[in-house]
Amino acid sequence: MPSRKPSEPAAPPLLECREVKVSFGGIHALSDATLVADRGMVTGLIGPNGAGKTTLFNAITGLHPPDTGLVRLDGEDISQVRPHRRARMGIARTFQRLEVFGSLTVRENVLVAGEIWRRWSKNNEVDVAAQAEELIERVGLRHLARERVDSLPTGPARLVEMARALATNPRIMLMDEPGSGLNEAETDEFAGLLIDLAEEGLAILLVEHDVELVMRVCKRIFVLDFGRMIAEGTPKEIQRNKAVQAAYLGTAA
Amino acid sequence: MDQLLPFTIAGLVTGSIYAVTASGLVVTYTTSGIFNFAHGAIGMFAAFTYWELRVNRHLPAPVALFLVLFVIAPLMGALIERVLMRHLDRAQVVTSLVVTIGLTVMLIGLAQGVWKPEARAMPQFFGDGGFRVAGTFVSWHQTITVILAGGVAAILWYLLTKTRLGVAMRAVVDDRNLASLTGAQPHRISMLSWAIGSSLAALGGILIAPVLQLETIILTFLVINAYAAAMVGRLRSLPLTFVGAFALGLTEAYMIGYVDLKGFWQGLRPSLPTLLLFVILLAMPEERLRANLGRAAGGKAPRVPSLRESLIGVGVLVAAAGLVSFVLGAGDIQRVSQGLAIGVIMLSLVVLTGYGGQVSLAQLTFAGFGAFAMAEWGGGGSIFGLVLAAAIAAPIGALVALPALRLQGLYLALATMAFAVMAREMIFVDKRFFGFNSSLPVGRLDLGPISFDGEVAYMLLLAVVFGLVGVFVLWIRRGPFGRVLSAMGDSPAACATLGLDLTRTKLAVFAISAAMAGLGGALLGGVKSVAGPTDFEVLQNLPILLLAVVGGITTVSGALIGGLSLAVLPVLQERVPDLAGIVFLLTGAAAVSLGRNPNGIAFFLAETFGRFVPWRRGSRGSAEAEAGPPATEEVRKVAVA
Repeated sequence: MPSRKPSEPAAPPLLECREVKVSFGGIHALSDATLVADRGMVTGLIGPNGAGKTTLFNAITGLHPPDTGLVRLDGEDISQVRPHRRARMGIARTFQRLEVFGSLTVRENVLVAGEIWRRWSKNNEVDVAAQAEELIERVGLRHLARERVDSLPTGPARLVEMARALATNPRIMLMDEPGSGLNEAETDEFAGLLIDLAEEGLAILLVEHDVELVMRVCKRIFVLDFGRMIAEGTPKEIQRNKAVQAAYLGTAA
Repeated sequence: MDQLLPFTIAGLVTGSIYAVTASGLVVTYTTSGIFNFAHGAIGMFAAFTYWELRVNRHLPAPVALFLVLFVIAPLMGALIERVLMRHLDRAQVVTSLVVTIGLTVMLIGLAQGVWKPEARAMPQFFGDGGFRVAGTFVSWHQTITVILAGGVAAILWYLLTKTRLGVAMRAVVDDRNLASLTGAQPHRISMLSWAIGSSLAALGGILIAPVLQLETIILTFLVINAYAAAMVGRLRSLPLTFVGAFALGLTEAYMIGYVDLKGFWQGLRPSLPTLLLFVILLAMPEERLRANLGRAAGGKAPRVPSLRESLIGVGVLVAAAGLVSFVLGAGDIQRVSQGLAIGVIMLSLVVLTGYGGQVSLAQLTFAGFGAFAMAEWGGGGSIFGLVLAAAIAAPIGALVALPALRLQGLYLALATMAFAVMAREMIFVDKRFFGFNSSLPVGRLDLGPISFDGEVAYMLLLAVVFGLVGVFVLWIRRGPFGRVLSAMGDSPAACATLGLDLTRTKLAVFAISAAMAGLGGALLGGVKSVAGPTDFEVLQNLPILLLAVVGGITTVSGALIGGLSLAVLPVLQERVPDLAGIVFLLTGAAAVSLGRNPNGIAFFLAETFGRFVPWRRGSRGSAEAEAGPPATEEVRKVAVA
């Protein structure tokens, strides 16, 4: 299908993936991934291990562009745009397998992201150092600010990635299993933070195995299985969906 | 056209040898994922072993050949895999590159130690016998070479596609963990591939030695030809590797036959394989950024000294240099000066590799341009020459990096080495530069009232310059650019998702680093007061990188240790002439050991003695720690998701 601008008068969704296909040496990691994620809410993306969630994130952020299919940001096709350009359009992400800057401290991790942002946004009014402090405070890492990140356990390191992503003042944030490594109290706090961020207008696309967390914070959920989207709906609809139960929760459910 | 047949035959023969060597490289790479820089050195060592058995011990050729190809070389390969490479599994490109370069240098040292450099004749198979085809003489050696290449192709094809083992080998490449789940034993398979690879390297070495010369360096650098051929198949495809090998062999032969190269272009033939390598690298599609391949976690890293601390360090260094000047004779002082100048070149690697995670095998080449600038425009030691040395090297560094910037880790390193070869063979020997077999006088800094012409004065000057460049390096590290560099070294993928233009950042760091190397080169030229092409040999780039890493690639003190070691090690050799190759041997051994301890000597010393220094202990809490082992993303294909 040739790409064309949607002619509907309504504003296009912030992020839209349409029939995204990615294969590795003949194996289809994603064969038909279609989803939307919009401003002001948390959208869930769930599915069993190996369903292609991280692959879809890589397709959206450009680390592994889709073979075919569309990735649209605000209606604009970005499926062949280079990763750093996409970031500059407002897409930020965290990584399932951590990609922190291990040789830098927590503070430096967030600061360097702000400094990178300041350079490409040409925004000289924001004090990125102060912004970094705020973000560190916000994700609850004040007490670890001076620690080198490679000495941190997984939970806090994930929060570093989150603060780092936020330092680029994104429009949409893709979060890849941010909840793993957090204890119950931390998860509670984290859920609150996600909801707050969404209320401030950020679009969040959340990949998470903690079903409870997903059901709690997401307005809409997409379910991916074997590279294709098998369901979408509200948390309630997803919980009732037979296909989802079969694929994701196991046939025993 | 009566020349066509002989040159075609010659081309096919060398092409066959390249094909054999290159296919060994491909087998090892695809299975173990480690790019074996030492491939040529293994072939060299095996060729010498064959010579030893065949000529010195008078074994019949088939026996000697059997022993080398099926016993010694495979054992060597398996041993290398077991001892050195195994724990490099999935290690970063920088580390595995450094370890295999270390192995290269070590094997050169070992070979030079065992077989003292002298002219040796490598016998051909069946002596000088042969037959005539259409009036052209074809030796048995040539015939056998081509047949062997065909045999290797057939055996490898059968092994990889028709046997269980071959399928397992290919499975290991795709996903090591997955392969082990299905019952394959990645370690054993990897070991086997190293054994096969070494055997092929040995065959290549034995076949080419009579054609070229039985000499350590020449044979070691055969690896470049193999790289060029293997790169045609992107290090994966054996058929394309064979195509590349024959294309290279024939082009070389026809160039000898038909192209009369004059002047500047004389250097074209020796640099042809590198040129080809460079072109192929340029033509390669951009690699995807890989996530999930960050540094080994939990590595401790040295802290970054504050400005005050680094200035104290400069003071200590200059004072130490002053004290040393009372003890040492003029010759030894010159050594120290040399070490300090090399130290400046190594500082350029601290920024580039230690912080930014990029590898360059051309820093000494950038230094060569710096020395030339000083010689040409810094007549009488004008400071203008030093400034120009840096100013000229910077754009050259950027220019070298520019086409290669799309590439990462390994390929980038190879591209810089290709440039080093071309600069040495084509530019430095040009009469507008140093000239072939000649050299230019290089002045020592002269600031009018103060001249640094004396040995002691020059050493003190170098201590000051090293200190100031070190302060500059640490200043970079503490600032925004240093943070970006460290971030890029840790995770290029994450940097890209933050909106960082990696290409521009790499360009900038290459330019800065080349400028520093250029300055170092101008100073190094001043030590001996002359500089020529032989001062900037391609091979010497390897010890520079290795000792910088051994000293500690992430620290200024590491560069100091590395530079001084490189200058002082040859003294050992001069005092004990029997220890031929000892410098290479030690350097290589030290570098190889880095597989286990990537932080280098400086860090070890700081850890050991740092706790006794009170003002350091106090400031530990505020340690905005320094970059640890550099990380670049792995080049291998890795299944995501």
